[in-house]
Amino acid sequence: MSGLGYTLPAVISVVAVCVLELAALRTGLFRKPAYWISMVIVLGFQVLVDGWLTKLSAPIVMYNEKHTSGIRFPWDIPVEDFLFGWALVTAVLLLWVKQGQRQRPEAGDPGERRW
Amino acid sequence: MDKWQYLLLLGVCLLVTLPLEFLGEGIYRQPIRLLRALAPVLAVFLVWDAIAIAADVWHYNPRYVSGINVPFMPLEELLFFIVIPICGLLTWNAVTGILARMARMRRRSEQRSGR
Repeated sequence: MSGLGYTLPAVISVVAVCVLELAALRTGLFRKPAYWISMVIVLGFQVLVDGWLTKLSAPIVMYNEKHTSGIRFPWDIPVEDFLFGWALVTAVLLLWVKQGQRQRPEAGDPGERRW
Repeated sequence: MDKWQYLLLLGVCLLVTLPLEFLGEGIYRQPIRLLRALAPVLAVFLVWDAIAIAADVWHYNPRYVSGINVPFMPLEELLFFIVIPICGLLTWNAVTGILARMARMRRRSEQRSGR
């Protein structure tokens, strides 16, 4: 469990997405309740889907334990998957919201700007 | 049947999240915006995934994948990076749509009660 192969890139991906938002995109997404509500819902479904993908009894994705922290929770999900998943979904969402703000700079999106 | 498991799981994700399209301004109905949000993130994660597979950080159980391969990875893995962010965007679409609708209803009822 060197953690280099998965744990480290997973942590870096989260930092990179935060830097992308705070230094470049500045969408304000992290201040919107709608974002955090969405993330809780996504997290719930991630546990189901990822739990199925990683279950040790019949895994679809198999991890080399040398490259992970070895912590699997809940069920058999490597905790790194949650960082990976968060970075993936949030990065796309940031670019999505940014484009909406570009399209409607003053008016803003009634749904997205407020929330 | 087993070898379609990963593909079926992704299909279920798309099917379950499809109705969310209609709770807001839509994700599939803005294909160019979707492509622009997805493509850069997809590129980064595909490179990460290809490196991780090459370095044996993770691999896929041949029992549960179709055997159809795109360069560096199973077809399913490429689709994963398209399907999962779309599910996240659809969740955001639904949450912002519902919150905007709730705000409109609140405003209307406030106007009616003369506030």
